[in-house]
Amino acid sequence: MKLASQYNKATLIITFLVLFIAGFIYYTTINYIVNKQLDRDLTEELDEITDYINLNQHLPKQLDFNGDQTTLTKTDQKLIEKSFYDIPYHVAQRDADSENGGIKYKIKPGRAVKALISVKGENYILTVAQSKEGSKHLTQLIIIITLGLTVFLLGILAITNKYVLNGLWKPFYHILQQLKSFNIADTNGLNLSKTNIDEFKELNDAVIIMSSRVKNDYQNLKTFTENASHEMLTPIAVITSKLDTLIQDEKLKAEQFAQITDIYAATNKLSRLNQSLLLLVKIDNDLIQDNATFNLKDVILEKERQFQELTQNKGIELIHLLEDKEITASRYLIEILINNLFNNSIKHNQTNGKIYIRLTHNKLIFQNTGENDALNNTEIFERFKKGKSSDGTGLGLTIAKNICSQYNYNLKYTFEAPFHTFKIAF
Amino acid sequence: MKLLIIEDEQGLRESIERYFTVEGIICESCSSLAAAISKVTLYQYDCILLDIGLPDGEGFTLLEHLKANGKNEGVLIISARNSLDNKIKGLNLGADDYLTKPFHLAELKARIDAIFRRKAFNTTNTLNYDLISINLLAREVEVNSINIILTRKEYDMLLYFIANKGKVISKNAIAEHLWGDEIDLVDSFDFIYTHIKNIRKKLMEAAHKDYIKSVYGVGYKFL
Repeated sequence: MKLASQYNKATLIITFLVLFIAGFIYYTTINYIVNKQLDRDLTEELDEITDYINLNQHLPKQLDFNGDQTTLTKTDQKLIEKSFYDIPYHVAQRDADSENGGIKYKIKPGRAVKALISVKGENYILTVAQSKEGSKHLTQLIIIITLGLTVFLLGILAITNKYVLNGLWKPFYHILQQLKSFNIADTNGLNLSKTNIDEFKELNDAVIIMSSRVKNDYQNLKTFTENASHEMLTPIAVITSKLDTLIQDEKLKAEQFAQITDIYAATNKLSRLNQSLLLLVKIDNDLIQDNATFNLKDVILEKERQFQELTQNKGIELIHLLEDKEITASRYLIEILINNLFNNSIKHNQTNGKIYIRLTHNKLIFQNTGENDALNNTEIFERFKKGKSSDGTGLGLTIAKNICSQYNYNLKYTFEAPFHTFKIAF
Repeated sequence: MKLLIIEDEQGLRESIERYFTVEGIICESCSSLAAAISKVTLYQYDCILLDIGLPDGEGFTLLEHLKANGKNEGVLIISARNSLDNKIKGLNLGADDYLTKPFHLAELKARIDAIFRRKAFNTTNTLNYDLISINLLAREVEVNSINIILTRKEYDMLLYFIANKGKVISKNAIAEHLWGDEIDLVDSFDFIYTHIKNIRKKLMEAAHKDYIKSVYGVGYKFL
């Protein structure tokens, strides 16, 4: 959920709650005040009637005054506390259609007081009731005002959230955008906008420091790899030259030659590893920039000729279906890529196996027979991951993958018996 | 042929010197740029073997010095830096070839011979060895005055062998020369054997003589 909508939700709920509670308090308070006022009126009325009775010593003829409904009921009770209470209040209304002589009673909320009075030794309960119609209007008004306030407040909040909040969080989204597109190999620093808000300033600073530290570490690591690889080349050259000199010695025995052969092989592997690592560093650093436009088909055909001896030796049947495909890339890297794919499909093939190569305008497919087991899809492109029987450097497919990502090609491996398939989507 | 080896790594320098010191080649060596510049100023060489990374400066300085003084020694650069930029820079400054470390001495010898031949081309374009005569322009081989047909790889191999005559050449060196980094060595050893068998047969038929001797599985020697 987005920050803004989360915030909106929270403010909405809180606003509603606050306004609801405020409305309730309002309502009860006003109700209380209105009742107090009514009670005062009723007391006054009661006093008037009591005074009248005390003065005249008989019950008044007309009991209703000013819309008050007064009743006197004889009682045997000697003592009744004066008390106020809510009662339904009947209002007579003229109604032509009504059966009851054109008069209809409507029930409205009312307020009453009752008290005990005695006339000539007889006790009566006197009740005086009054309509609460007036106070009902007040309550309605309060509800309308509250609702109006609620709508107004929500509107204001929505606008504030939309404009102020979005404006406030703009630097944050900018930082987020920059972080998303952060590329460790990119030499350009992060382009963060200036902001006056302290928190975002701190965030900006923290992000800049962190990214530069990460880049620095990465750069150091790359430089180290490159330097280490370079520094190793000279000692390897010394070993090779010494071996070349050593085998000139005619006094050496056969078993010594066998050992020298092993040293040759190990040295060769070391040198290959080194060259592969250097190549990876170069690809990662984007150091190979000799882009040219050429036909991929030509490269494949050329490599096919170079590998002819190998395929023939293993009795591998090579079938290709190649269309013209112009690409813009470093020819050097593309040759390495095709080379590695060929090497891979021959090395892991079986005797009298098959290789299919298919090139169209949007894809290049290398298929080869081999062990009837799918390789681990994620691991095969990792550095130094190789098959049990492989004596290679374990970097060939990593290099292929990196070359592909350099040009935004998508290299994928799938296995569908009996074919291992490497597919490059341009 | 007079050769100057400029290389600061003692082990490598000694190996090269030892390998190249055969009949007909005079080797001199030094390990710094300053010494190299004074040597080329004083003496005339046919070929110079130049390491780029020297303790007192880059080998490119020597190339500039040679160019400025109108000298036309053949120069082969050996460098640990396999960068295209360096290679182009070196070749633009007048170097004849560029070899990346590590390399086999046999490869170095073949390259030096090629440079030397190119420099001496004004006089001859045939390479003679014993009964073998190679027309380098037409890439034709005559043995005992009989024209023999060699495949491209066999022809390359023959030139390589002649450049390293009398030396044991390891299979690794041959494989690297013929295929470069492209294929794994283990695979290529079989093909070396096939190619050698074919060359041997063709030379035998024409010269009635076995030029190639196998050395304990480690390599071959051309006699």
